[in-house]
Amino acid sequence: MKNRLRRVGILSALAIVAAVPAAVPATAAAKPTITMSGSTTVAPLAALLARKYLQVCDHCVNFKLLQGGSDIGVADVAAGRVTIGNSSRDPKPSDPGGLVFNKIANDALCLVSNNANPIPGVDQAGIQAIFGGSVRSWTQVPGSTQTGTIDLFTRTAASGTQDAFLKIFMGTTKVFSGASQKGSNGLVEQSVASDPGGIGYVSLAFTKNVHTIPYKGVECDLRNAKSGQYGGVRNLYMVTRGAPTGATAKWINWITHTKAASKIVGTQWVPLV
Amino acid sequence: MSVNGSHNAKPKDRTDQRAEVALGALASAVLLLIGFMIVFVFSKAWPSFAHNGLAWFGPGGNVDEQLANIFNSPANPSNYVYTMHAWPLLYATALITGAAVLLSTAISMLSAMFIVEFAPEAMRRVMQPVIRLLAAVPSVVYGLIGILVLVPFVGNHVISGAEKDSVRYVIQLDGSSVLVGVLVLTVMITPIMVAITTDALRSVPRSWTEGAAALGVNRWRALRTVGLRAARPAIVAAVVLATARALGEAIMLSMVSGSVGFAPNPLDGTTFIFEPARTLAATIVDNAEGLSVKPFGQTVYAFAAVLLISSFFLSFAGWAARQSMRKYTLQAR
Repeated sequence: MKNRLRRVGILSALAIVAAVPAAVPATAAAKPTITMSGSTTVAPLAALLARKYLQVCDHCVNFKLLQGGSDIGVADVAAGRVTIGNSSRDPKPSDPGGLVFNKIANDALCLVSNNANPIPGVDQAGIQAIFGGSVRSWTQVPGSTQTGTIDLFTRTAASGTQDAFLKIFMGTTKVFSGASQKGSNGLVEQSVASDPGGIGYVSLAFTKNVHTIPYKGVECDLRNAKSGQYGGVRNLYMVTRGAPTGATAKWINWITHTKAASKIVGTQWVPLV
Repeated sequence: MSVNGSHNAKPKDRTDQRAEVALGALASAVLLLIGFMIVFVFSKAWPSFAHNGLAWFGPGGNVDEQLANIFNSPANPSNYVYTMHAWPLLYATALITGAAVLLSTAISMLSAMFIVEFAPEAMRRVMQPVIRLLAAVPSVVYGLIGILVLVPFVGNHVISGAEKDSVRYVIQLDGSSVLVGVLVLTVMITPIMVAITTDALRSVPRSWTEGAAALGVNRWRALRTVGLRAARPAIVAAVVLATARALGEAIMLSMVSGSVGFAPNPLDGTTFIFEPARTLAATIVDNAEGLSVKPFGQTVYAFAAVLLISSFFLSFAGWAARQSMRKYTLQAR
């Protein structure tokens, strides 16, 4: 008796398990799914855009958005695990062949210091001296209200933000080897916000709790980034394997060519049109 | 298992037979999985070891620069950069794990003894579920507390300006340090050790400690000389388990112990404990972004291989230690 009851229980559990996946494809097969992974800088932008796109095209596609970092995105799309790999870094010679980097927006990279230490401005030589490790005390930095040692917060080698920082600001100068390497924009912002002697660099969207340092006399804000006056601007990409086709092409085209998309991009990033 | 069959001359129970097959298959699947994992990790890691030889484990140069160079390798496979001298990472792993395990062993032995022998019943009833709960807190929660509270506190109030200045051309002391890493790690692994040790002390037969008490020994001494001795194999098991968790701890340490591949120098005196260090596991987490670059991925797999090997040695050392204690102890685990 007991045995039979158990068997009935197992059977009905199996039936439920079998019924669930059977029900899902029936509804999902109708529309294409666009999967994205990669850059943590692009992810919030992609999420905002996707929400609007679903409204505009009346839920013509399904979106799946994952994060992980620019290199994860590039690797995923190259391996065919996702339709689009988000990247905040430029193409590299070691990237797998056949990838197309579709530029979707620009992003301002801001130098930030603690709110207690509002540096009035810095030029490229100053940045290279500070991040290169030849200037290690705030007393040597003009306009600083701090006197102690400079704490540098940088990103790990694999980060798209790090790649952009080295290219835009550092040139051939090497970053000081004792600098603390953080894994994300948020961690750098948090570290600088809690350390009066700290300095670092983050994407413009991560500057709420820290002081942004004007670079070459230009404040790091959206207006200056859009007008092209601010020097620290980098590219954001949606990477596809081969040129985008079908629903993916429509989606990327919508981002780069419509007013509605530009408006969303323009809230915290720099639109292309 | 076959007790029923042999005594009652009945054929083996069918449910038992099925269970035997199913469980056996499951157990062998686990073995197979471990085998595959080892082969996979080592085949991925091999180029990194092969290019560096024994120098891989030695000091030399700056680990982070080496990692960056590997990451920026040219596209041509024959020009891949593999140079890696991982000593600072190995040293940081041993230092932070070792210090945390030592500290937590001392703390957990004492608190387990207190819970088993001295704590009032009401307190015991509260403490045990709380400790079990603590053991299950995800490490990232500890990491958050560490980075939001402890690291800024140590950086701004504990480390003096003079200390920062004294080493400022070598390394920066911003609060994320060996000290915070060890402290948070200790808090993380102590509950597991307390839980296991408490169970072991409780399973020591009452008659053994009562025998000691009958000889006129006080509770503390009876517990120390009889209970604790009898529970040694379980304590070793607890230490092994805690060390394994500490070795593999990645997220929390990546957040609080300073993400610099730096070997803290004991000759720096008290400044030593404020210096940052990054363990192997934390290095893997921090650099997971670059796995798609082939030589970089292989180097990260090499870190994983070293961690895998050290956990084998750990299990083996635990087993060997328990072998030597077989006499006069409970065969608990």
